[in-house]
Parts: sequence; structure tokens; C-alpha cells
Amino acid sequence: MAFNYDKYLRLEKMPTLWCWGCGDGVILKAFVRAIDKMGMSQDDVCVVSGIGCSGRFSSYVDFNTVHTTHGRTIAYATGIKLARPDKMVVCVAGDGDALAIGGNHTIHGCRRNIDLTMIIINNFIYGLTNSQTSPTTPKGMWTVSQKAGNIDPTFDTCKLAIAAGASFVARESMLDPKRLEKSMIKAMQHKGFSMMEVLSNCHINLGRKNKMVSAMENLAWIDSITTTKKKYDAMTPEERLNLLPTGILHEDTEADEYCDMYAEIQKVHQGERKVITQDDFAKKI
Amino acid sequence: MATREVISTGNELAALAAVDAGCMFFGGYPLTPSSEIMHEISDLLPKKGGVAIQMEDEIGGICAVIGAAMVGQRALTATSGPGMSLKAEQLGLAQMAEVPLVCVNVMRGGPSTGLPTRVSQGDILQAKNPSHGDYKSITLCAGSLAECYTEVVRAFNLADRFMQPVIVLLDETIGHMHGKADIPTAEDVEAGIVPRKRFDGPAQEYFPYGVEHDEPAVLNPMYEGYRYHFTGLHHDKKGYPTEEIETCRKLIQRLEDKVAFHEDEVESFEEFMMEDAEVMIIAYGSVSLAAKEAIRHLRADGIKAGLFRPITIWPSPAKKIKEHTDKIEKVLVVELNIAQYHGEIQRAAARLDIDGLFKVNGRPISPHEIVSKVKEL
Amino acid sequence: MGTFKTKNPGNQPVWVNTSNCKACDICVSVCPTGVLGMKYESTSTLGAMISVNNPESCIGCVECELSCPDFAIYVADRQEYKAAGFSFAKITDEAKERQAAIVANNYMSLSEQGVK
Repeated sequence: MAFNYDKYLRLEKMPTLWCWGCGDGVILKAFVRAIDKMGMSQDDVCVVSGIGCSGRFSSYVDFNTVHTTHGRTIAYATGIKLARPDKMVVCVAGDGDALAIGGNHTIHGCRRNIDLTMIIINNFIYGLTNSQTSPTTPKGMWTVSQKAGNIDPTFDTCKLAIAAGASFVARESMLDPKRLEKSMIKAMQHKGFSMMEVLSNCHINLGRKNKMVSAMENLAWIDSITTTKKKYDAMTPEERLNLLPTGILHEDTEADEYCDMYAEIQKVHQGERKVITQDDFAKKI
Repeated sequence: MATREVISTGNELAALAAVDAGCMFFGGYPLTPSSEIMHEISDLLPKKGGVAIQMEDEIGGICAVIGAAMVGQRALTATSGPGMSLKAEQLGLAQMAEVPLVCVNVMRGGPSTGLPTRVSQGDILQAKNPSHGDYKSITLCAGSLAECYTEVVRAFNLADRFMQPVIVLLDETIGHMHGKADIPTAEDVEAGIVPRKRFDGPAQEYFPYGVEHDEPAVLNPMYEGYRYHFTGLHHDKKGYPTEEIETCRKLIQRLEDKVAFHEDEVESFEEFMMEDAEVMIIAYGSVSLAAKEAIRHLRADGIKAGLFRPITIWPSPAKKIKEHTDKIEKVLVVELNIAQYHGEIQRAAARLDIDGLFKVNGRPISPHEIVSKVKEL
Repeated sequence: MGTFKTKNPGNQPVWVNTSNCKACDICVSVCPTGVLGMKYESTSTLGAMISVNNPESCIGCVECELSCPDFAIYVADRQEYKAAGFSFAKITDEAKERQAAIVANNYMSLSEQGVK
């Protein structure tokens, strides 16, 4: 026997509709293995995805699954989580999904620090719609919407998440599935909003005009723009240019989680405690 | 049915109705003139263990509501015209994935920002098709303070019966109206709750969307051992995306037919002094209050006017309308928009000589205006 | 519909489900010991298919399985494999050199000529 993936997958939906060599499949596999290691029951997990190549993620895994509209994963997941705070909710979205059309929900999900895990699969491009500029497309790259070269500045997903208040932020790439799996477990076990940015390849749409026509060339490029957090921290600002640190970048286990805080609101209305005042937060402000 | 007397506003009654009808989740965003619904329900829900959350935008509000409804809860969102425009895409997903929810729209002047604090009935056609694609919307319209309560209760039961969003239209006048209302007791409302269907057989035999051609999906709450897939894509009986021609056709036809074949369960209207009417006034929402007053004046002047008031706006009570319009020559539609429901009355009556009195300056129509117009007919 | 083959087809260290493979080369690229290589296969996606050419060199690192996006390649469970009386190889210089040659051959098996 090898690892039994069959249990967690909807076999009748296989093979996936993702292109050959697409990182989405590797991330799907890491997710399934992470869930297995955590010993979670499939009935207790909900996977919410948006629109884009990553949107199909939810239809392949045998959990409670929701394929929502473009950019709205976190908003749907917020309703699901608040309705059943005892269960796990994992969002999967792409860079365009989570950072462009869904940017507002992303930052406010982080701000609330609600106990969701957000996996952003960042392939630096709009893949499903054929190579348009995304908020993470590097400047100077060719896209179909900026054929003269992309001039749009890029988002740093992790910095954005930390600034917005997420209590767990990590970045990994699909180049190292073992580390990816470990970080995913930590992200899902963390209580509070966990942001996992996973760098992935799209040699079909990002690579085709940017000299990365095979999965391997695209992956080599991802390798060239990433370094571990430890090495990154030891670098000078000049050396850090155009590099993204990987690993767990931020972890705060003390931050108030939103469902817990809402339980306090319920207590106030049920006469079990006094109203929440600024003094209750005095130490934290 | 036992009633209780309350002094309240239309918006607050809508919130109370939701909670009495078993709603456990509210998601919304501040929007005049609907905000009081959120204000009221944010006190009522946590008291009974429910959740009311103010989301980052209108879209987030309805998304969270759909999420909670997928978990099996009765859920409410409330907004006004601009918010309806923003929620449109998610209403489409709820139609496609057959997720029940109630959306209250307290109508204000539009389009765009329009007249935020003034009354309008300009969202009638929007309520019929807020999102792209084919589906059959269910829209109710409250014409009195008491109906702000009873129609929201009815909306929740219809949403669970037909497994789709139900829109309740209030307007600024009725939402902000403050007064006495006789409403059913909470016990009676609770006793009248018809929960959504569920499947209790073995999980491998569960096909949430594998139902009869005129029946809604049977969606068990999440996390209870029945794992399936919600999607806005065309899907098969298990909920999985498909492009198979016949499956796609049947799905969309079923979204239409599940309501069309059971319109009798949805239909609701009021006939006021229609028995001997020689002039038929058609009005709904707050306008119907002015129309009733006008009819009393007209009758005092010897003009036999009557009111037909659709309460279920979509699907419209077309057959009933035609019964009247076949007999009555003078028909006047009064509404706070430019002929939005007038067109539907023309269609139902199969007549192009339906008169109209329309007002779009953000002010209510007075009984006097209606009286004058009827006398011109 | 792809049926998986997570069950060892017969005391193999590594095996392939050819109906799932899309021939992306990733598994070949991550193998440290030159066990794998692509072969021409006119009926397959991209005209190629994985071939397990040197199973005796497999060290059981599972990199190929973890890096496969399409659930097409599997590695035996270390304990089960041992219990059946087999063991994974140790990494050798020869195996490393073979891997380098396969990468240089554009991930094609060394018996194959040209590029995909």
C-alpha cells in the first residue's frame, strides 16, 4: 500500500481538469495528507473554494464542500463558521480570487481573526481566464491584458495578512510538499485566522510568454525568488530585493478569536455578564 | 389564531418576525432605510443563542447568510436598493445551489444612491430577476405594519418549502412607520414553522439534487454525515459540476417548475371593496394604504372603486387579476415607480388600456392624488 | 474516471497509474536516484509516459509521489515493504550520476533520444 488517498477524494471526478504539472494537484495532495495526519473526520471539515482553477479544489475532495462565487470564500466561510464554531472550515482561493475581487473579505477575515484557514494558491497570474495580470504578477512580465509588459505593482500576500491582523501567516511553495504539509497542519491547528500562501506554477499561462514553458522551468523560477525565513532574516535589505521568505512568518496564539468573542456578546444578552467595555481590552490596545 | 398588540415600526417588526420564525443568523451591512432591522436583530439573536454579524460589505452580508443556511440555519439579510444590486450575484448562487434564505429590501429612491431617506417602489422588476440566468423568484410585499411581521414569517416557510431565496419588499414609508399592530403570538408562529425537508437514509443513497421535476432540492445540514457539493455551476444529482446536456436542461427547468407548478402555495392577495367595484385600483405596499383611504372618499362621492392588492408580487396573481380586468373596464395601477408592475398587469389582463398613476419624486402618493386621477378616468 | 492504484501491484518500491499521468516530468525531476524517466507513448497526454527504469535504486523518499499533481505515482509504505522481505536502496554515486544524465536528457529515459 501507498498512502490511501482514495478515502478523501471523489474518484468519479478524477482525473482533475488541471493542466499537466499544475501545482494545484500537489497542494490538494498535501492538504489531504495533512487532514489525515490530524486525524480529522471528513464530516467535520468544510472546504470552501471560489472561482478560478483553484475553485475546482472543493469538488475533488470528499468533505462538506462549497464552490462559491468569485472572491467570496471568506465571507461564505464566516457564515459557516459562526453557525458551527465547533467545526473546521478551510478556504481555498487563487491570487486573483483572494487578493483582487475578494480583497475586501480577505483583509476583514484577517482583521476579525475568525478561526478559518485560508489557503491562497498564488500562481502569479489569472490561469483559468487565460493569462491576465493578477495582483501578484511581477512587474515586467507579459500578460494578455498587458502585452507591453505588466506595470502593476504587486501585493505581498503575507505582509498584507499580517498588517490586517491574521494571527497565523505562513508562505510555502509546492516545490517542497513535505514542508507544505507540515505548515498546513500548523495552520489548520492554529486557533484564529490562518493565512497560508502557497506559491505555485502556471507554466501554461504565466510561463508561455515569460520563458517558462514547462512546469520545471516555472518551478525553477519560483525557487529563484524564494528563500527560507531564517536566511531571509539574516540578509541585508539589498539582498532581500525580489525575494520572498518561506516558512511560518507570523504566529500569535494570544489574539482574540472572533467566535469566542461573539460568545461573550451572547453572554451579555443572556444576562451572564456585563457589557463589554474598552476597559476589557485596555491591556491589548 | 391568537394575536398580540404591539407598538413598533415596520423594520423592527420584520426583525422580530425573523427571530420568532426560528431565524438564527443575520448577516448585513448598514443601509438606509433598512438599518433598523440590523439594529433590532443584533439584540434579539444573541439573546437566543443566534448570531448577527455586520459584515464588511453588502456582498459579505449575504454570503455569510448563505453559508449559515448551508449549515441548516434559517438566516436573514436586510438591505435596500443599492445593497440588492450588490447582492444580486449571490442571490443567483442561492437560486442555483437551492439555498433557502430571506432577504428584506426596504425600498428607497433609485437608481444608484438615489433618495436614501425617501420612499420608492422602484425595485419591483429587480426583485423578479436580481441575478442573471433563469429561475423563478418569490417576492412578497408588505402592505401594513402587521404584514411586516406576517410576511417575513411566511417568507421563511416558503424559503424552506421551495429551497430558494425569498425577497420581502418593504418600502421606506412602511419600514419607518411607527404604530400599533396586531400580530400573531410567538407561540403560534413557532407552531406554524415548517422546517425544510431532510434525507435520513444511508449517505450513499443521498442525492440532494436528484428530485422530481417540480420539487426543490433536499439539502441536509452540513457536518451531519451527508457530504455533498454546493456549486453555482450546472450540477448533477450529487451536486457535482457537469455539462451533460440533458442534466443541465432538467436542472434549470426544475428551478422554474418547482415554483411554477405550485403557485397556489405562494399566491396571496387582498381584495378591498371589490364585490361591486366599477373602478379597480391596483396597488401594493404603503401605496395601498393611501388607495384604501381614496376608495372611502370615492365611494362617498358615489364612485364604486375597489382595491386589488397583490401581497405575493412574484409570481404575480395573474389569473385573479384577469378575472377582475375581464369584468371591470376602468383599471388604475398606482405605484411609486414608472410602470414597473403596470407592465405585469397589462400582461396578466392582456389589455393595453390599463391606466397608471406613477410618482417618482421620493414622496408618498396621497389619497387626494388617487381620488383626482380616478375622477379623470 | 480514474481509478487509483494505491495498492502495491506486487512488491514494487514504486509504481505508476498510467491512466492518471499527464506526463509533466515533475516526478522524474525530483527523483534523487535516477529511478524514473519518460518514454515516448503516442497515445498519452503530451506523447509521453513515466517509466520506472531502475526500481532497484529507489530509496523510498516519496518525493515523486508527493510532487505528482495527478495521483499517478505511488511509493511503497516503508514498514510494509520491509515486512514483505524487501528494502529500499541506499543512495549511490552511480544513481546520482544517472539522475543528472536523465535531467540533462530533458527528463527522458536514457534509452530514448531527442526531446518530447
